Amino acid sequence: MSLPEVHLVGGTAAEAARLAPVATAMRDQGRLEPILVAAGPDPLAFTRALAAFQHAPGRAVLGGSAGAEMICRLDRLWATHAPAAIMVQGDGGACLPAALAAFWRRVPVVHLDAGRRSSELGVTTMAEGNRRLLAQLATVHLAATPLAAMNLLDEGIAGGDVLLTGNTSVDAALATVGRRVPYADPALAELRAGGANRLLVVAVEHTAGVALELVRTAVRRLVAIHSDLDVVMLGTDPVGGSQRIAGAGRPAYPDRARLLADAYLILTDDGDLHEEALAFGVPALVLRELTDRLESMFAGCARLVGASPEAIVAAASDLLDGRVRRDAMLAAGNPYSDGLTSRRAAQATAALLGHGAFPDPMPVRHAAGLAR
Amino acid sequence: MDIVGFWIRSWINDDRLAVRQLLAPDAEIEWNLDAPVDDEELVQTLHRIAVFADSVTVVLQAPAEDGAALAYDLAAPFGTARMFEFLTVAHGRITEVRQVYDVTATDRFLPGLYATP
Repeated sequence: MSLPEVHLVGGTAAEAARLAPVATAMRDQGRLEPILVAAGPDPLAFTRALAAFQHAPGRAVLGGSAGAEMICRLDRLWATHAPAAIMVQGDGGACLPAALAAFWRRVPVVHLDAGRRSSELGVTTMAEGNRRLLAQLATVHLAATPLAAMNLLDEGIAGGDVLLTGNTSVDAALATVGRRVPYADPALAELRAGGANRLLVVAVEHTAGVALELVRTAVRRLVAIHSDLDVVMLGTDPVGGSQRIAGAGRPAYPDRARLLADAYLILTDDGDLHEEALAFGVPALVLRELTDRLESMFAGCARLVGASPEAIVAAASDLLDGRVRRDAMLAAGNPYSDGLTSRRAAQATAALLGHGAFPDPMPVRHAAGLAR
Repeated sequence: MDIVGFWIRSWINDDRLAVRQLLAPDAEIEWNLDAPVDDEELVQTLHRIAVFADSVTVVLQAPAEDGAALAYDLAAPFGTARMFEFLTVAHGRITEVRQVYDVTATDRFLPGLYATP
């Protein structure tokens, strides 16, 4: 008898990295048949990231940039090949169209990394609205943290439909970093060939214009102040002016994972990268005024610094000049995962489909100094 | 006849007669609001939105052979709430309407839209 098929739908390399460990866990548990579906304008990026986990997409759905087009294509796919359930992760571009297409045809939706919300009271941007709507479409909500679970309960989601599982960033890190594959990009390999300098990874995905120039100014100052510092810039062109600053564009997942594993510190405005860095034991300075990764702020493993060069240089230098201060940021551990999320997610999906029991929730670490 | 297009224009322009005529007698109605719903409650709720909202805009329309998936932005005086709607069409009538509201935004910007039990 064939196993129930579960379609894990994603559109970006980050989503591939988060979904692949769940697919592995589903195969290992032997109750479900996972099919990875590449959806969105660039299925190649998704496919390349999956290759790092020895996975390949079973289906590719080109969706362009319009949600309606992706919904229609997924609907046509599922009209002929309906899965028992689908899984989406986070709140990226493919999530909402996939959840809409599945809800339309009454296919259960498992939402991995559910409940993430912005920190500012009263935020009513469309991005927040779409996150809330995604919660209304999902059948089972796998929350990474207690705060995420509370966000869902506050929005009226039934408690029985929410499970605290953690997120799969640590699972993905454990699956890749242990192999210590060499850098595929020759420029990165050359930059890190000596290996003696500390590495600062600067990843800018959402900052542009004047704010981006301020970040570049800060990077130049840091390199001038700290002679033992190499900088790799992701997502934007390098600033130039020093041989110790390299640009890596958007590297393939294995190179990106290796960079994060090698880094002393990261500066980023991207929440996914910030979480991945924590999985590799690297603290983060967040180049924003606002974040939806509040748990890392509470745990002390990340700090908000904004885009002012003075603030960035001061905060980064504080950690570059004090190894103990830098390591102390990680003392409370990773608030997002204990490395067992993918197994919980696979078990929860199987339980939803009537195969076995739901897993116990991820144990919660109590923050130092807070009353229990 | 474009049933889905007619449905959209009818309820946005508060034509309750047309909305009732489009609904099949045994149409199944579902929503995620915390209130019971049947065809008449749906008609009245759409009427309240049409009257209260500054504008209703279709931001997404995904057609299929048997219906459509739609997304609307319901712009109220103090903010906008989004609603998804899934329609099933058969023999020129709408046989199923499933609505998913951003409940948080709906309760904040469209107060009193539906009768809570």
